[in-house]
Amino acid sequence: MIETLGFFATSWMDPGLFLLTALGTLAGIYVGAIPGLSVTMAASILISFTFKWDVNEALALIAGVYVGGVYGGARTAILLNIPGAPSAIATAIDGYPLAKKGQAAEAIGLSTTMSVLGGLFGVLALAIAAPLIAEFAIKFTSRDYMLLGIIGILLVGTLSGESFAKGAFTGALGVMIGMIGLDPMTAEARFTYGSINLMGGIPFVVAMIGFFGVAEALLQLENIDKRPIKQAVSKIIPRWQDIKRYAGLALKSSGIGTVIGALPGTGGDIAALLAYDQAKRSTKNPETPFGEGAKEGLIAPETANNAAVGGAFVPMLTLGIPGDAVTAIIIGALYIHGLKPGPLLLTDTPHLFWFIVGNLTLANLFLLVFGLTGIRIFTKVVECPRAILIPLIIVFSAVGAYSIQNNPIHITWALGFGVVGYILKRYGFQVGPIILGVILGPMIDANYRRAMIGAHQDPLQFIADLVTHPISLTLTVALVLMLLSQLPIAGLRRRFSNTPDTERTP
Amino acid sequence: MNQQQSARLRTGHNPQTPKTTHPPLRPGERVFALVLVIFSVFAFSEAFAISGFKGLTTGGVMPMVASAVMVISGLVILLQSFNKSGDQTAHATGALRYLVPLPLVGFSAIVAAYAWLIPLLGFIVASGLFLFVSIWILWRRGPLVTLLIAGLSVAAIHVLFRIVFQVVLPTGTLWQ
Repeated sequence: MIETLGFFATSWMDPGLFLLTALGTLAGIYVGAIPGLSVTMAASILISFTFKWDVNEALALIAGVYVGGVYGGARTAILLNIPGAPSAIATAIDGYPLAKKGQAAEAIGLSTTMSVLGGLFGVLALAIAAPLIAEFAIKFTSRDYMLLGIIGILLVGTLSGESFAKGAFTGALGVMIGMIGLDPMTAEARFTYGSINLMGGIPFVVAMIGFFGVAEALLQLENIDKRPIKQAVSKIIPRWQDIKRYAGLALKSSGIGTVIGALPGTGGDIAALLAYDQAKRSTKNPETPFGEGAKEGLIAPETANNAAVGGAFVPMLTLGIPGDAVTAIIIGALYIHGLKPGPLLLTDTPHLFWFIVGNLTLANLFLLVFGLTGIRIFTKVVECPRAILIPLIIVFSAVGAYSIQNNPIHITWALGFGVVGYILKRYGFQVGPIILGVILGPMIDANYRRAMIGAHQDPLQFIADLVTHPISLTLTVALVLMLLSQLPIAGLRRRFSNTPDTERTP
Repeated sequence: MNQQQSARLRTGHNPQTPKTTHPPLRPGERVFALVLVIFSVFAFSEAFAISGFKGLTTGGVMPMVASAVMVISGLVILLQSFNKSGDQTAHATGALRYLVPLPLVGFSAIVAAYAWLIPLLGFIVASGLFLFVSIWILWRRGPLVTLLIAGLSVAAIHVLFRIVFQVVLPTGTLWQ
């Protein structure tokens, strides 16, 4: 117990880590708030700079950016009516009308406090649920991991795009990109065409930077002249009676957020929309109607999207399956540092697990501090013209892609992926499944082959194994059901958004 | 703000976008779907070339499965595009205008030049040039202000990456 507390407090006691968490959270708020910058983009670029660092330092910074970024989008949603991140789309529905009524400061204060409450709830759920799930997940075999990987990719495809076929296509494309290089089991060349650069494979960070950073920057070119509308902001500390009054709603929304965040492939944006919908249904007599500045409509999505952060870490740390795009990147960071997220992570490296829990808690507390201060500078910074921002993103992407292996060809690849990602996004494809495919593809390949060897290369035995072992059967049924029918969440999501042209990242 | 507005904000798209689960046919969407199918078939043939049907655990199995999924889903996407309504008469020019608006072409050319210049001039000089030219064109302000911003950005990038993150930046053959 004392040892666990020690691990938990690592980032609280070490001045360097403490500072990095603070810096990450502060930077995250701005990254999340500035339209055109996304947390996924920032995290994928940050990984390439921090992979030489100690794992704790890298995680402190990235976790801070994640927590800050999910919240940051709310500020621009309230002040400028532009959700800085997809997880703040629901926030703008009631947040901006509140600002228009002159209650911008109150809205920001409330959203900050509730975000922190939701965030802490999510972290608590992570601390309780992860050890239990990990204990269970030790029983998983190769075929279970294969199934989990496929489910992970398909879930992102099912829930994040306009059609399942598009999700399946991009997921499979990602798997293909992940297959490029020498086969780790037989050293057979796959899609290398004699190129030495391709033999080493395509580093997934290069793909991430291309698909998330460069593609998004190119897409932002069409919004280059959009001017935000300013709002006056003064005192933003929320009233105690407001916090007390909405505590029940916050708790319920936190629960929704954590569970949705924990489902592979669903992140803060869907959690926020679902919580908003739930609040709208369950609030019988709101002071102000929903859509016209109801505080309930602001609190529910803000609590849920931050609770989803803790939730998203659960499948990532226990099963090695990321809960959303940012945790997919964090998984990448762990791999780079030689760690293997999965059920053994908690037994082999408990210090890392409790460090993450402690660090997320700390980041949430910093969120409270930074969320309630510095609003005047904030409004100046977010007005940074996109004409300056877009070229800067390209430069960051270039240096990020290069620094992975100090190979200039990776800059060209990242830019190429950016163009492909841009075209796919223009035609309503999501790039999230591609990244999951790149990361999980090799894992699915290795586990499939292990499972097939275990079944003595007999396809009938392989299929029999899938349906005769309880865990495999459950996962197979889940996969088949998923293929047969779309999840009800998907229908709900479509009701909220009708032009899913851009990537949904937290 | 209603839901349609929120979706518009997210995508930065036209407010007239109809509220349906199937958005209307985008310019060139059918041709694009066809290109995807052709690409997927090519990918499958390349995957087959790795190890054919020699065994169930060879290196080519997963690429074949993945590319088969691409072929099937590509065909579904193509079929779906035929179920969508929309004007496809002016496809070639319409699709080009939709996909590659002029500012994008210009900016992409600058980006390509930037990627080409990095190994020649080194990262700092190439980035400085790239930032100056692209900000000048996109922002449409005076060259002095642009120069100042590009210069400050390059200085900040050097301090942040070279000194704080200690990242090795690409050097050039003409300029170290």
